[in-house]
Amino acid sequence: MTWELLAVFLGSSIRLAAPLLLAGIGEMVSERAGVLNMSIEGMMLMSAFAAAVGSWATGNPLTGLLIAIVAVQPVALLQAALSNSLRANQIVSGIGINILVLGATTLAYREIFGARSRTEIPGLSKVTPPILGDIPVFGHAVFEQVWLLYAGLALIVVTALVFRYTSIGIAIHAAGAEPKAVEKSGLSVTAIRYGCVLFAGFMSSLAGAFLSIGDIHTFTEGMTRGAGYLAIASVIFGKWRIGGTVLACLLFGGATALQFQLPALGIGVPNALLIMLPYLLALLAVGGLVGRQMAPASLGEAYRR
Amino acid sequence: MTITNDIGLNCGKRTWLRPTLLVPLAAVAFAGAIGLALIAMIGVSVPNAIAAFVDGTIGSPYALAASLNRSSVFALVGFGFILANRANLTNVGGEGQIAVGGIAATAVALYGHVEGLPLGLAFILPTIAAVIAGALWGGLAALLKVKSGTNEVISTLLLSFIGVWLLYWSVQSPALLRKPMTSSATLPESLEIPDETKLPLLTGDYSFPVHIGLPLTLGLAVVVWLILSKTILGVRLRAVGLNPVAAHRAGISYARTVIFGLATAGALGGLAGALMLLGEQYTLKDGFSSGYGFDGLVAGLLSRGSVPGVIAASLLFGFMRSGGINMEMVAAVPTALVVVIQGLIVITLAGAALFIEKWEQR
Repeated sequence: MTWELLAVFLGSSIRLAAPLLLAGIGEMVSERAGVLNMSIEGMMLMSAFAAAVGSWATGNPLTGLLIAIVAVQPVALLQAALSNSLRANQIVSGIGINILVLGATTLAYREIFGARSRTEIPGLSKVTPPILGDIPVFGHAVFEQVWLLYAGLALIVVTALVFRYTSIGIAIHAAGAEPKAVEKSGLSVTAIRYGCVLFAGFMSSLAGAFLSIGDIHTFTEGMTRGAGYLAIASVIFGKWRIGGTVLACLLFGGATALQFQLPALGIGVPNALLIMLPYLLALLAVGGLVGRQMAPASLGEAYRR
Repeated sequence: MTITNDIGLNCGKRTWLRPTLLVPLAAVAFAGAIGLALIAMIGVSVPNAIAAFVDGTIGSPYALAASLNRSSVFALVGFGFILANRANLTNVGGEGQIAVGGIAATAVALYGHVEGLPLGLAFILPTIAAVIAGALWGGLAALLKVKSGTNEVISTLLLSFIGVWLLYWSVQSPALLRKPMTSSATLPESLEIPDETKLPLLTGDYSFPVHIGLPLTLGLAVVVWLILSKTILGVRLRAVGLNPVAAHRAGISYARTVIFGLATAGALGGLAGALMLLGEQYTLKDGFSSGYGFDGLVAGLLSRGSVPGVIAASLLFGFMRSGGINMEMVAAVPTALVVVIQGLIVITLAGAALFIEKWEQR
């Protein structure tokens, strides 16, 4: 393997990890607060669709991104209401939302684009950060990425700081670990959990927009293809910590990038095995490769006052 | 986390006005109404769409048979779901279990030298292979849960993706199940299975091709009902579902119960795959499982834990799928509409659980 190929591999790993990273951090926050948000798959798909339509209709990818962010919030609100106010089974409601969004976006896509499917859609621009971009060989191949990725990374850093240094972080953590104590201290568990699910929706909308108008500049039916579930697996793999989740996402991104890289190197591994690889890794991860998992104590349980 | 813990068995109020019956009916009616509104919105004549829908479900003996065969598949996955769910296990892996069942059935039917066997073994052996494959696929999730506490929702989901890609691999690779490549135009699919390995049709007539999967499914419905309501196995599942610690104190093995629940659910999913392959499709192709695992899962959710409920929901979805396909062909309504309706049904029911709970506590 030459340096150039390594650089391309790293670059595409980061690019493929980006949607997982964004959605994964959102999911982590939501799970830390106690809500298992199975619907990030649906939220990402909704966003990918809304971003594509918005960008196509206005010709401006930034407007598309904003439309996507706005379009996902009702979905997130539905999930939050189901899992908090209505105390619905979080898994069932999440899967229901995913089915609904898959149907709705497919239907709407056919109605809007019809025969003009696979239309090229204006996409978000790429940037190369200074200094990093000047590194020989690696600079452009690795660091020339859609700006949304860098914005997302900044958000992830902010999230980490909030978790570590602010009372909001402590409250979120406590809402998932010991909700009764939170309520006794005068804060509302319900409000915290609503907020965290909406935040997960926001991060998922960035992830979905990255897929359709960041990465490939088109929308295809059901294009998330389980990325949301991989993001959930990355949270488990990362033991509900930001650093761990980021590493897990990079690992899944790298595993996905191998699909394109190994054939280029002339290594004959069945394509299907490579496509399967991230899911296999995720299964190994959730299956205890990382040791016994320490999930937030009240994860998945609706809070009863 | 209570969706189906105490349904069907509590004999307190035996009136037809039970919310467990009314709420699903209301959910279906609500989702159906939105479906009709959407049809009107996309500018298709509603009467035409309904006519196409009805025509696709019961318009011909063939349509009727196809709907019934499809309903059997959904029902098997649904039975597996409620059986495991009695132990508070949520099997979301029907799709992958169907896929590995289909792979195993194809492999044995094509390369197991079974076509000359007497007494129906030619199709029974591939079916058994599918059941075993499905049971292993479900059992794997159970093992992970018992050994490292892995949530079965995420593991069965990931196993579904792996199963579906395994199927893709099987039909892409000539070293596996792909038919011999005679030209570059050879499709990525298996050979057609020998006639002897196909499931016998009830009438023997291809204009009404209901196969023996239907009576088999009905027989299994009775078995699952018996297991859940009349046997010690059912009690164990229920005990583990309600309180694993108390169940352990009572001498019920958590590990064995979890493995039994998920492996049986997987076995039923594998069987569903066998019915699809040996009864209808006859060649293994990419996309073989075609979302049937998720439809079966939804049927299981809708039923709120009761066997008759699964049958009713499976018939509903079986006919909805057939009608949906015909609506797309005849009335230009995308089949995605049926998916929207299903999603709405699931969300409505999930949201109504609290309401049902409160009603029953009155």
